[in-house]
Amino acid sequence: MNATGEPLPAQSSPGRSGQRRDASASLCSRLPGGPAAVVAALLVLMPVVLPSRTMATEILIFAMATLACNLLLGYGGLLSFGQAIFFGSGAYLSSLVMIHGGFGLLPALLTAAVAGAILAALVGALAIRRTGIYFVMMTLAFNQTAYFIAYTLSDWTGGDNGLLDVPRPSPTLFGVTLVDLSDATAYYAFTAALFFLIFIAVRKIIASPFGSTLIAVRENEARAGALGYDTRNFKIVAFAVSGAVTAPAGALYAMLLNFAPLENIQLSMSENIVIMTVIGGTGSLLGSLLGAGAWVIISDILSEIWPRWLILTGGALILIVLYLPGGLWGGVESLMRRFRRGGGTRRTPDGVPENAGAAHPME
Amino acid sequence: MNDRHILTTENLSLSYGGFRAVDKVNLRVRRKTVHSVIGPNGAGKTSLFHCLTGGRRPTGGRILFNGEEITNRSAHARVGSGMARSFQITSLFQNLTVRENLRLASQGRDGNGALVFWRSAGARKEHTELADRVMERLGLTRKAAVAAGDLSHGQQRLLEVGMALCGKPELLLLDEPTAGMGVNDIPMMTELIADLGKEYSVMLIEHNMGIVMSVSDTITVMSRGGILVEGKPEEVRADPRVREAYLGEVA
Repeated sequence: MNATGEPLPAQSSPGRSGQRRDASASLCSRLPGGPAAVVAALLVLMPVVLPSRTMATEILIFAMATLACNLLLGYGGLLSFGQAIFFGSGAYLSSLVMIHGGFGLLPALLTAAVAGAILAALVGALAIRRTGIYFVMMTLAFNQTAYFIAYTLSDWTGGDNGLLDVPRPSPTLFGVTLVDLSDATAYYAFTAALFFLIFIAVRKIIASPFGSTLIAVRENEARAGALGYDTRNFKIVAFAVSGAVTAPAGALYAMLLNFAPLENIQLSMSENIVIMTVIGGTGSLLGSLLGAGAWVIISDILSEIWPRWLILTGGALILIVLYLPGGLWGGVESLMRRFRRGGGTRRTPDGVPENAGAAHPME
Repeated sequence: MNDRHILTTENLSLSYGGFRAVDKVNLRVRRKTVHSVIGPNGAGKTSLFHCLTGGRRPTGGRILFNGEEITNRSAHARVGSGMARSFQITSLFQNLTVRENLRLASQGRDGNGALVFWRSAGARKEHTELADRVMERLGLTRKAAVAAGDLSHGQQRLLEVGMALCGKPELLLLDEPTAGMGVNDIPMMTELIADLGKEYSVMLIEHNMGIVMSVSDTITVMSRGGILVEGKPEEVRADPRVREAYLGEVA
């Protein structure tokens, strides 16, 4: 397992859950319509079941960030505690270009995506010069740096007070307003559509030559290098993709709140994103939606009950990590398997790397 | 530069501090032959191998591959030039299937060409076909959908060599392919290596004398970082210096 000299924390747990991913992917593909249909159904159900549209929107925004974190952690074996850099920058940048530059919704989101990709590629390029725990510490240090930069540039970011009066413009095409997003349901629908597109895109990316190689790098970096892959490039591109998804999520969050708080770029935001990824299950994209949903809902319920609610979420996290090593999705999966006997057999369709690995406890 | 040689080293040296692990080695590997490097423990075989694969930067001398200097080329870039290696300690993608292992190995020749999002990984037919052909050759077709980590040790060693084959190399660098193999599996590997020597240039580092003597066209015996003797198997076998070097190790 540790032949690459990569210390265990960043590599071993995603490796193990990677096996779960393989199993979950095949489980999902047995459901009618596959994972995309499951997500579509959930997107329709969420606003109906959940107490508010705002909460449903918030879940999807964090699910985007979780998806992006999962790409790094679950598929690339890269534990990044710097995701808030991209989330926060996306929030600030899109807000600033809307406030000062008069940007519309889509140009603002695009700005966030491009800036997020560039920023993440830079952070990634430097952080991956070290592996294992040192890599993790680098991402953490970058996050602290970004936070203090945002804090210091209070003329632009509002510092401690946050950036106020962030607009939520409606998307227009040739001067015609397509939908009025000031309505909570419309904004949810817009976010859901975007989430669905991102979900499909990330799935495609994972099944692509790039994605399959990223998994190979996670599995055995030394071998991947010996096969001819410059593994650094694959990690940097994974970061860029992650940033390109996380930053627009931050932008959507600022538009949801009409406000970009400093917390967006704080280390605790990075922690939350990682926690959501782990709760949901690393290496499973549906798990990311599940993880973000669980986190937002649990936080919401507990914070109303008790002001020290974070203690309880901490306890919940410990329980999940101890008893559901594959995260919530891993739990759902083993439950479903218990219901349908013999459901453990795997299908491995040709050339689909997502299903290509066999579930197998190596350790 | 002699065109008969695919790989040449000129005064290749690698020092760790004051210790010369590889000391001015001049090696010539002829095309389409099996060239073995043997020697007692600590003779510098592995250090030499690291220099050739790009794992370590030599501290002196040059490496020429197909007449082109590759001394400072990175390990992954050497694959693109036509070199592929296997590992002494089995190094596979344990959780991925045999077919996926080989497909990734075939795709590796593309290098950064694999930084592609919009295609499905299996869309490149040449990669999946090459993977299937190598699988056939190794007799692992029935194990296509099995995780590499679930194979027997002997099969893992075969796959280890197969991964190198998928790089479509001109030169195969094999690092103790029989390491840890059982007696029953060894003939299979011997046969494979002898067979590979007809199609590829093979450089072999090996401890098992039986294999070395039966498959090699040329044997280089290393001792204390340098070349002690070089020649055909029967010449090496008869050379008293070789006996001495090995006996010295035993005593």
